[in-house]
Amino acid sequence: MEFRETVEALAAAEDLLTVEDPVSDPDLAFALAAESARSNGPAMLLTDVPGVGRLACGVRGGPDRMVRRRRLPWSRIALGLGLPADATYETMLEALSTAPAERPSLRRRAAAASGHDRDASALCLPTVSSSDRPLISEGLLAVEVDGRQFWAPVRGDVRGRTTLRLHVPDTVASRVEPGPATVALGVPTAALMAAHLSCARTHPWRAWTAPEIAAALDDVPVAPHAGGLVPASAEVVLDGDVAPTGEPAAGPRAAWEGVADAAAVTVSVDRVATRPDPLVPLAPVGEPLGDDIHQTSLVEGARLQSRVNGYWGVSPVSWIGLPVEAQLGVCFVASEILYAGFEWQLANTLFSFATSFDKVVVLDVDAAFEDLARALDDIWVKAHPSHDWVFSEAAAPAAAAPAYRRDGQTGSRLFVNAAWDPRWDEEFIAPEVNFELMYPPEVRRTVEERWAELGFDGDEDASDTDDAVAGGDDGNE
Amino acid sequence: MSESDRRVVSEPSLRSYLDALDDRGELVRVTEELSWDLEASAVAMRAGDRDGPIPLFENVRGSDVPGARLVGDPYRGSQRRPWDRIATALGLPADVDSETYYDAMLERLTDPVDPVTVDATPEAAPCKEVVRTGEEARLLSLPWPYIHSGDGGRYSNLHTLVVPDPDSEWVDWSTHRMMIHDDRQGSVLLLAGEQTPNLYYYKYERRDEPMPAAVVVGAEPAVQCTSVMWIPTGSDEARYAGGLRGAPVELVECETNDLRVPADAELVVEGHLLPEKRLDEGPFGDYFGYMHGPRRSMPAFRVDAVTHRESPIIPFCVEGTGAGYTENTTSSMEVGCVGPDATLGLRAAGFDVVRCVPWQFTPRTAYVVATATNDPGTLHELANFIFTTWGMLHIDFFIFVDACVDPLDTREVFEAIALHADPDADFHQFGVETMPKVPLNIYQTPDEKGDAQTGTSKAKTAKAYIDATGSAGARPSVVSESSRERARELLATAGVADASPRERDDAGGARGAGDVPGAGGER
Repeated sequence: MEFRETVEALAAAEDLLTVEDPVSDPDLAFALAAESARSNGPAMLLTDVPGVGRLACGVRGGPDRMVRRRRLPWSRIALGLGLPADATYETMLEALSTAPAERPSLRRRAAAASGHDRDASALCLPTVSSSDRPLISEGLLAVEVDGRQFWAPVRGDVRGRTTLRLHVPDTVASRVEPGPATVALGVPTAALMAAHLSCARTHPWRAWTAPEIAAALDDVPVAPHAGGLVPASAEVVLDGDVAPTGEPAAGPRAAWEGVADAAAVTVSVDRVATRPDPLVPLAPVGEPLGDDIHQTSLVEGARLQSRVNGYWGVSPVSWIGLPVEAQLGVCFVASEILYAGFEWQLANTLFSFATSFDKVVVLDVDAAFEDLARALDDIWVKAHPSHDWVFSEAAAPAAAAPAYRRDGQTGSRLFVNAAWDPRWDEEFIAPEVNFELMYPPEVRRTVEERWAELGFDGDEDASDTDDAVAGGDDGNE
Repeated sequence: MSESDRRVVSEPSLRSYLDALDDRGELVRVTEELSWDLEASAVAMRAGDRDGPIPLFENVRGSDVPGARLVGDPYRGSQRRPWDRIATALGLPADVDSETYYDAMLERLTDPVDPVTVDATPEAAPCKEVVRTGEEARLLSLPWPYIHSGDGGRYSNLHTLVVPDPDSEWVDWSTHRMMIHDDRQGSVLLLAGEQTPNLYYYKYERRDEPMPAAVVVGAEPAVQCTSVMWIPTGSDEARYAGGLRGAPVELVECETNDLRVPADAELVVEGHLLPEKRLDEGPFGDYFGYMHGPRRSMPAFRVDAVTHRESPIIPFCVEGTGAGYTENTTSSMEVGCVGPDATLGLRAAGFDVVRCVPWQFTPRTAYVVATATNDPGTLHELANFIFTTWGMLHIDFFIFVDACVDPLDTREVFEAIALHADPDADFHQFGVETMPKVPLNIYQTPDEKGDAQTGTSKAKTAKAYIDATGSAGARPSVVSESSRERARELLATAGVADASPRERDDAGGARGAGDVPGAGGER
C-alpha cells in the first residue's frame, strides 16, 4: 500500500486528525506529532506548513496498551501492510518472519515523483528547537554495492540546500563507499519494514534483498534511481552521492539506533523529485510511542522469535515482544516452560541475542501480548518476590535502551519468572478469574442471550475504552 | 467554592448514590428475575469487562426478604478513570481529573468531623426498619451472592466490619469478607497483621472472650470509602468518614451489643466472633485475579441479630475482576481511597511524598510513590517505613518515581521502570524469606500457605522496592515547552482526550510535595 493510501486508510478508519490551521512555529509540527503520540492520539495530517508538501505524522505509530483500546499499538503498521487493523501480535510476527516459497520477481514501474529541483531544504520538513536544521525523521536510503541492492532506514537533517546528514544502520553504512545513492521519503510501510528487516539480517530474509522482502510483505513496485531501485510510489526522492562521515546529525536518536550500531553518512543531493502535493512523513523520533519505536519493536520481536524458536530443536515460544510503552527497555516472552530451569536459559538466550534491554519477563505460553495489563499483573502476583526475581552478577554490558550506565561499566541483568513452576502439580495452578472460567455454560448463555433484555447496551464494542480516537469518546468519562 | 467551604458533599446513603448514578445513565435496574447463584455476579462481571453501567438487581430469585436486592460493584470506576464513580459518590464533579480528585480527598481527610448518635427508631435510623433477633435472625433469608463457580460458599464481601478494642474506646472499621455457612454462622477472613485480626487473635481470643462485631452492609459511600483506608490505630474511622462526607456520620446503637453502626446502612448483621472456633473459608476468586485455595480455617462469626431497611440492597464485589484492564469496587477503591490516605500517612510520617498510588492493574500488591527526592538513603528509609507499617502487609513491591512522573499514568511508570531502574543498583529486596506474607498470594503452594492458624503463611517472603527515579531531565527536550503546550491545546481542542495541558514539568523540573494543596498536617 502506498504511503498516501495508508494515510487515506487511516482517515477512513477515523485514526487521522487533519489540521488545516497554519502550523508555522518552527518546532510546532514536531511537538504536535510528539504530543499526539504521547497522548495515544490519532495520526495527523498537517496541511498548512511552511515548505513544499504536507506533513503526515505518526503514520507508523500507535497507542499504548495501558488501557484496553480498540486499536492495537501496531494497527497502523498492519494497515500499511494490507493486514487487518486488528491483526494479533502473533499475526504480525508471522507476517514479518514468513517468507513465500519462492522469491517474488520485482515489479517495476515509473517513479511517481518527478521534477528537477535541487533544494532539499524547500521541503516541509520540521525543525526542533535544539536545532534549526530541517529534520528527516523517516525514510530509506538506497544504495547498490557490488550489484546488490541495499535499503536502510534513515533519520537525520538537511544542511544548506543540498546536503543531508543521515544515520543508517551499520550493516549498510559499513558497505557505503562514495557513490550514487537515493533517499526516499513517504514510502510504503512494506518498504520501510523491509529496510529494517534487511538491516537486522532477520531470518528468513537474510539472503534476500530489501526490495524482495518488500515485495513479499506487500505489492511494492520499484523504480530505478541513482541508488538503484526505490519504491516507485515514494512521495519524495532525493538523488545524489553518499559518503561516510564522522559528524553526527542533529536531532534525537531513533529507536533503531539503540538496537544495532548506526553510523552517519552524508548525501550530496543533486536532484529532488516529488509527487504533486507530496506527503512528507514526520515521525516523532525519540519521543514515547514514536513510529520508530513501533517499527523497531516489531522487527526485534520477529528477529528474536526467529532466532529463539528452533534453538533447542523445538519451538516452545509463542511470542516475544518488546512493549513500545517501555521504549524497548523490557522484553516479554510467552513460552512453554520445558523443564525446571528452562526459563533461565530462555531469558539468558534473549540477553545474548539482543542489546536494547536488560530485563526479561517470562510468561506462560498462553499469555497474550495484547493483554499487556495482565502480563504486567503477572510480574507482581505470579512471580515469587524471593525466588522469581533473578539478578545476574554485575558483569553484563549496559543495555542500549535504558538511561543508566552510559559510562561503559558493566552491571546486572534481571529476569522475572512469571510463569507457573513446571514442577507444580496441576492442582496448585490457580485459574484466572474471567467470564469463561468462572461460570458454567448455561449461566454464560443466559447472560449473553439476555444482555439487551436485562437493560444493557447490546453493542459489544460500544463501551470499549478508546477515547483517544478522534471523535471516538466512549461516553464513560 | 473551595473544598473546605463545602458542607454535606457526599451522597448520604447507598440508595441516593445509586439514584445519582441512575440520573447519569450509569445504572441499569435489572427487573428480570435473576438468581443470586452465579447469575447476578456473571452480569456484574460482564458489565465490568465492558466498562458498562452498574447493575442493580431488583428481582432476585431465592430470597425470603421482600424486595431484597443486589447491586454489583457499585463503586467500580471506568478503566481510564478508576476514581470516577467514587467521585460521584462523594459529590465531586463528574469530570474531575486525578490530581484534583486526590487533592480533594486529602483536604477532606485532613478535616475530620465527629459522628453523632441518633435514636434507634426506623425514622432516625433506617437500618432499624426491620429488626430480627435470636432465632428469627436468619442469614439465608437474604440473597447473598454466590460469586464465582468454585467459591467455597456465598459471600458478603462489600461491607464494613465494626469491632471494638477491649482495652480502649477505639472502634475499628475495616473490610474482611465473610463466607455464609448457615442461618446463624459465617467465617470471617482475618489475616494477622491487620488491625481487626490483631485485636481478635491477640486480645479477645487470648482472653477466651467472644469479640463483638457488626457486619454493616450497604453503608453510605463515605463510610465504605473510609473502611478500606489505613486509618491509624486508635483513630476513629467515623470521624474521617465525616470528613469525607462534609457532615457528621449518623450512628445508631446495635440491638444486641454496645457497638454503634451507620444508621443509613441497608443491613446490619450483629454478632460475635467466637474464640477458638474456626470454620472453613474459601476458596475464593481473589483480588489477585486468580481463583485460589486452599480452604482455610477462619474465625467463626455467630449471628445475634439482623436489622435492615425495607427492600434492602446488598452490594457485592466481583473480586478478581479488578486485575488487568478491568476495574471492580476493590481496585477502584484502592486507587481512589487507599491511595490518598496512604499519601497522607506517608507525609504525616515526615516523608516528602507527592502522591502514593496503587498500581492500577493489581490492587494492593504494588504501589507507586512519586517523590521529590531521589536520595538513596531517604528512599531506603521510606521503604523501610512502608514495609513495616501494618497497612502494607499485602504489598510486595513499591516503585519510586520522580515527582514529574504521574504515578497514575501507568505508561509513564512502566517506562520509568524500564529505563531508569538499574537491575544492578535500583532493585532492592528486603528480607529474602524473612518477611511476613498473607496467604492469599498465588505464588506459594498450598503447603507453603499453611493452615493459617493466625492467618499468616508458613513460608515467609521478600518485599522489594524499585528506585525508578531519574526520569527528570533524562530525555533531552528537543522542542520548546511552549510548543508542547501549544500542541496539547490544539490536540485537546481537536478532541484528543489525553492531550489536555498538564501542570507538570515535562522538561524535568520536580514538583515538591509542598506544592500540593493539603500537604502535611496530622491525622
